[in-house]
Amino acid sequence: MFTYVLRRLAQSLLVLIIVMLITFSLPYFEVNGIMAPAYVVLGTHATPQSIHAWGEANGMFHPYWVRFWGYLDQVFVHFNLGHSYKQNSSVWGIISTYVPRTIWLAVSSLLLTILIAIPMGIFQAERRNTKFDYAATGTAFILYGIPAFLLGILMLQFFSFSWPHLPASPPSGLAPWAMFTDPLGFILPVITLTLLSIAFLSRFMRSAVLEVLVQDYIRTAKAKGCSNTRVLFRHAFRNALGPIVIILGLYFPGLLGGAVVIESVFNYSGLGIQIVTAATTLDIPTVLGITLLVSILTLIGNLMADVVLGIVNPRIRVEGSTR
Amino acid sequence: MSELLETRALPQEPATENVADFEASGVVIPMWRQRLGIFLHNKLANASVLFLILTVLFCFVGPHIYHTNQTNQSAALSVVWNQPPSWHHLLGTDSSGFDELGRIMYGGEYSLSLGILAGVITIVVGTIYGMISGFFGGVMDTVLMRILDALLSIPLLFLLITLISVFSRSTVFLIVIIGVTGWFGNARIIRGDALLIKKLEYSQSATAMGASKWHIIYRHVFPNSMSNIVTVATFSVADAILFLSTLGFLGLGIPAPQTDWGTMLQNGAVQQPNGYWWEIYPTALLFVLVIVAITYVGEALRDAFEVRLIKR
Repeated sequence: MFTYVLRRLAQSLLVLIIVMLITFSLPYFEVNGIMAPAYVVLGTHATPQSIHAWGEANGMFHPYWVRFWGYLDQVFVHFNLGHSYKQNSSVWGIISTYVPRTIWLAVSSLLLTILIAIPMGIFQAERRNTKFDYAATGTAFILYGIPAFLLGILMLQFFSFSWPHLPASPPSGLAPWAMFTDPLGFILPVITLTLLSIAFLSRFMRSAVLEVLVQDYIRTAKAKGCSNTRVLFRHAFRNALGPIVIILGLYFPGLLGGAVVIESVFNYSGLGIQIVTAATTLDIPTVLGITLLVSILTLIGNLMADVVLGIVNPRIRVEGSTR
Repeated sequence: MSELLETRALPQEPATENVADFEASGVVIPMWRQRLGIFLHNKLANASVLFLILTVLFCFVGPHIYHTNQTNQSAALSVVWNQPPSWHHLLGTDSSGFDELGRIMYGGEYSLSLGILAGVITIVVGTIYGMISGFFGGVMDTVLMRILDALLSIPLLFLLITLISVFSRSTVFLIVIIGVTGWFGNARIIRGDALLIKKLEYSQSATAMGASKWHIIYRHVFPNSMSNIVTVATFSVADAILFLSTLGFLGLGIPAPQTDWGTMLQNGAVQQPNGYWWEIYPTALLFVLVIVAITYVGEALRDAFEVRLIKR
């Protein structure tokens, strides 16, 4: 088990370095290249000489690999994600203000999703091809077709404008605990995000359980007289859990992507609004910093999913070594 | 969003009646006709194809029948913005004074063509990458898959936003950017196929007979993973249209005066508190129906390519 975790950790670190290589290289492709911050700092009327001097002072003319090594050193040793010249603040400062807000949104909707989607998927698999199953599948299909922002708009229309009982937007203060002090405003964003995830996860759960239900050990369990509930939850559910854990690990980036859109719809200033604003104002360091941070979170999510899976299912640990 | 595909790609009930028909006839029917038969047997898929054809006609032929001004804003003409539907403007006008019905056609031209082109890029890149990784295996596979892991760990929307901020927002760049960020999931699926097929007997025996690797890819692996490629391609187009619309909603889509459905919905959402329903619902309805129809076609195509349903 220990070597398994160690191997996965090494893999994740390698992947992280590739991610950093990608994000680090992106500004090289921009029109002004890596010198873009110079135009922000020195203004649009800066002379080529002063731009050059700025680049010299900030080590922009060092070779690519030297700069990348400096970037690694900056991130891993000094935990510094860079400096946003547009907002005149460290990227870490911007992120630490907004990360908790987005995490609250994502995590609460993820918990709600798990609570609803997993029983729903099991129930659908058990009652497959019944009216309930068809209705759930049809709803899931339509929810696929609806982009996140459109679902948000519709929710706003129904619960905030047509039937005005819920606030259209969460409180705009920056307190990270706003979700607990003023929960009413969070109902619509969280439900919208949850509905989107349920469409996806319940469908996955249904197919995972269906796959398990045809296995021989289920037949054996039934033959020896286990009750239906016991077969479902004791045998089918536990064996279908593996794929679900993987999917949850993979799903995390998707959830944060969805949060970007939900934040714009409901005007909730979190990471999503920050990255969109940074992107539209060409605040590259902030964009890259947020992207890197979310990638790290994703990698941790995947790693945790794999470790949990390794604990649940010993076969993975052994098979993993040949991968 | 391509990783969602695994959930969409669920096994469906086999169309047994069809197989029986083919057996009863006693004549060897070409494979493509059997596949077509299975596809045509699926009523929902037929309706979806018909609907998609009608939508394409509506968007591309419609403007030649229903003439509207989609380039000049109303200010120069007369004050007609946010007008409710009337005989003059069948679906009203939007906040810039453009005729809404004409706008839906105009935006649809961009949404559909960009979505299809970007979808084609994702499937071509994904197929090549997945084939190489899965077929050659070994160190190459490990390296390519770790790179893919890195790309998949960056949320797709964040990657899109980053790329758009670094590059520009022109139509061509939007196609390229959605194309080059959409193939990661596809590559995974195609790699799995290549990995599986190269171990099957016919590939092994081709190797034993001295066939070159490229010959095996071209002659055996590629044709046999065609079912997944076609299915994945369909879903990729739907995903590309969705991503384009999301970018449009975030204000990073096609720049004005051109438009796409996502940008239109965003403009409509701004007017939502005023109750201007005609600026949202017609576009939203058409948009969702198009995506659902494409998804159904994809599901039906997968069934049609399911080799186990075909009798030789």
